[in-house]
Amino acid sequence: MKVCAPHMGTLYVALRALFEGLGTEIVVPPPCSRRTLSLGTKYSPEFVCLPYKMLLGNFIEALEMGADTLVMIEGDRICRLGYYMRVMEHALRDLGYHFEVITTRIFQRQILGLPDGLRVFAPGAPLAVILSAVRLALCKLNALDAVERVLQRARARELTKGQAGSVWRKAIAAIDRAQNVAAVRAARDDATQVLEAIPQDTDREPLRVGIIGEIYVVLEPFVNMDVERELGRLGVQVHRTIMLSDWTRFTLFLSAVGMSAHDRAHKAAMPYLSRDVGGDGWESVGETVLHAQARFDGMVHLAPFTCMPEIIAQNILIGVRKDVDIPVLSITCDEQMGRAGMITRLEAFVDLLRRRKRTSGRRVVRRDVARSKRFSFGAGSAALPGGKSGRLSGD
Amino acid sequence: MASVGIPRALLYYQYYPMWKTFFEELGASVRVSTPTTRATLSAGIERLVAETCLPVKVYCGHVLELAAQVDYVFVPAVRSLEPKVLNCSKFLGLPDLVRAVAPEAPPLLDPEIDLDQKSSEDRFRLPPTSEISFKARVIFYQTVYQVGRRFTSNPLRIRAAAENAWRVHQDYACLMQTGLTPPEAIARWEGDRCPSNASRVATAREEHTIALIGHPYNLYDTYITHNLVAKLRGLGVRILTSEMVTPEELRQGIVDLAGQPYWTYEDEVVGAAGYYIRDGRVDGLISVDSFGCGPDSTLVDVVRRAAREVRRPFMSLVIDEHTGEAGLVTRLEAFVDMLARRKGRMK
Repeated sequence: MKVCAPHMGTLYVALRALFEGLGTEIVVPPPCSRRTLSLGTKYSPEFVCLPYKMLLGNFIEALEMGADTLVMIEGDRICRLGYYMRVMEHALRDLGYHFEVITTRIFQRQILGLPDGLRVFAPGAPLAVILSAVRLALCKLNALDAVERVLQRARARELTKGQAGSVWRKAIAAIDRAQNVAAVRAARDDATQVLEAIPQDTDREPLRVGIIGEIYVVLEPFVNMDVERELGRLGVQVHRTIMLSDWTRFTLFLSAVGMSAHDRAHKAAMPYLSRDVGGDGWESVGETVLHAQARFDGMVHLAPFTCMPEIIAQNILIGVRKDVDIPVLSITCDEQMGRAGMITRLEAFVDLLRRRKRTSGRRVVRRDVARSKRFSFGAGSAALPGGKSGRLSGD
Repeated sequence: MASVGIPRALLYYQYYPMWKTFFEELGASVRVSTPTTRATLSAGIERLVAETCLPVKVYCGHVLELAAQVDYVFVPAVRSLEPKVLNCSKFLGLPDLVRAVAPEAPPLLDPEIDLDQKSSEDRFRLPPTSEISFKARVIFYQTVYQVGRRFTSNPLRIRAAAENAWRVHQDYACLMQTGLTPPEAIARWEGDRCPSNASRVATAREEHTIALIGHPYNLYDTYITHNLVAKLRGLGVRILTSEMVTPEELRQGIVDLAGQPYWTYEDEVVGAAGYYIRDGRVDGLISVDSFGCGPDSTLVDVVRRAAREVRRPFMSLVIDEHTGEAGLVTRLEAFVDMLARRKGRMK
């Protein structure tokens, strides 16, 4: 059995640890590239969303490398994710590949279902082996996310742009190579130290921007044109609401005891969107409200073209950003996206945030005036800077 | 007397007689928005993000039209009609979407219809049952009651209204299974004995049978699809759609094409396609989907593949707010010509 799972950010590091721990051979497809995208696009229905096209490209490249078992996560039942494999399977068989499909439903029984689920890949493996493989994989995920959080800080402040990025790439490789938990932790601490030692521009207070949106385009730097790096280059410290380690922690462990990662976000979203619309739409709305309350400077909202939940969120965000007074830049990712256009939009957005922040002393006063006006005349906040930025970000 | 507005879009085509009966029995007057026009669509487009799919833009246009005329607008959030089969995000987020983009709209009647609720004992039952749980039924009745309570405080009256509405809905479904399209069935139901619809005149010379695969809210909106049904009938085509298939046949069709059901309203479409492909009665299939429709984007591919396997001609029409009428007519004519030539060759 040669297992292959599609890419999503640094997920492959954990999956490699997991399957190697189980003694199953794993084929990691080449990193997402132009070729992946064009292969995927060529054999996909025209209007299907970008993650489908990328995943199909990953699978084709893995099958070329000799994979014979495709692993796919079965998502919720509102967005297209749950339908992917039904269509993909036909497309791949038409191309003449022979393979088996294993869809995982790890959502269903949380951690209790995991050993049974994994025995599919390693029949008869003792529980101890499975658990230690899972432990190493989770440890790698946590380590990667810990380093990435430090990276997000360092990127916004580094004097020589790009330094932090190269440390990050080395850290991924080191964590990927690590064979046990101790080695992973050592690699994590190493990378953190190096990142913290990078010479920083201490004079400038970086802008803080939250990143929300659909999980795949948020996590996969190839499809979002590495938006985090570009923002870091512009002196912005990003806060990504979706981290892989949080996601696994909650889906595997904490939801078993009735906790949800998103309770706070859902509660915050309630006045604007009162129910789950699939994917990450509800969270996108809620996190925008929460970030505004935490006095972030702005939000970047990433969504694949034609993504159903995020379109709902995007429509609702138009009102939200006026209400809670935070600029939101919505970026739609698809195969037609160009780097230059994206950077121009980010630069304009960051300029806007800077100006907003510079005038914020004045703005606070004006907002107070506006608030008192609102009480006397009804809605009167449309002409405020928040309203203006809202128009710009509508694009 | 309170008035309730029902937008002539999305689920209107499937449930209008039921909704109308329910509200009128409760003593409300029902007002339906006028058929879609350029102005309706533009009003919707103005408010929504460009990527939003066409039917939702149309829907918002209709809500805006009703905004100044009624006391309530009925905007249900239909999450599921059976366990484990949910709806597309657009249906789930509809009330919140309308509230966000049309703040001037009157209060919305926005019941959440969700029969997917698991009762506490079902949670640990593996595999989960496919029957509607007791809890879901209770919640459903509560939802209906809460809507009704706005008009009357008498629970028996609400119950009677709901039961009558359900009966009317079943009659309506039967009417459509005889071969009427939803607008024709609504006209018949409203007592219009001789529909002045010119399309029925063409009945005499129906040479081809085509299955029209698409959502009712696209197919029967004469503005956005440029009166597609009448045009095809004018070309001598008998049209079969998803409303003309019984629920059992639909289910079989879904299993044939896509395995397990997945999206409620998409399954009606794909089930009909599966049924007509297996049935062999149709000469060809035309799918009509709106640009940017998520479910359609995957399922049209499934239908295309199935049609190819049984060697039935298949054409996919993608409609958006820019669709030019001439281009549509040309493609329809070409498709029908092709069917005619194909028939000649096969004889």
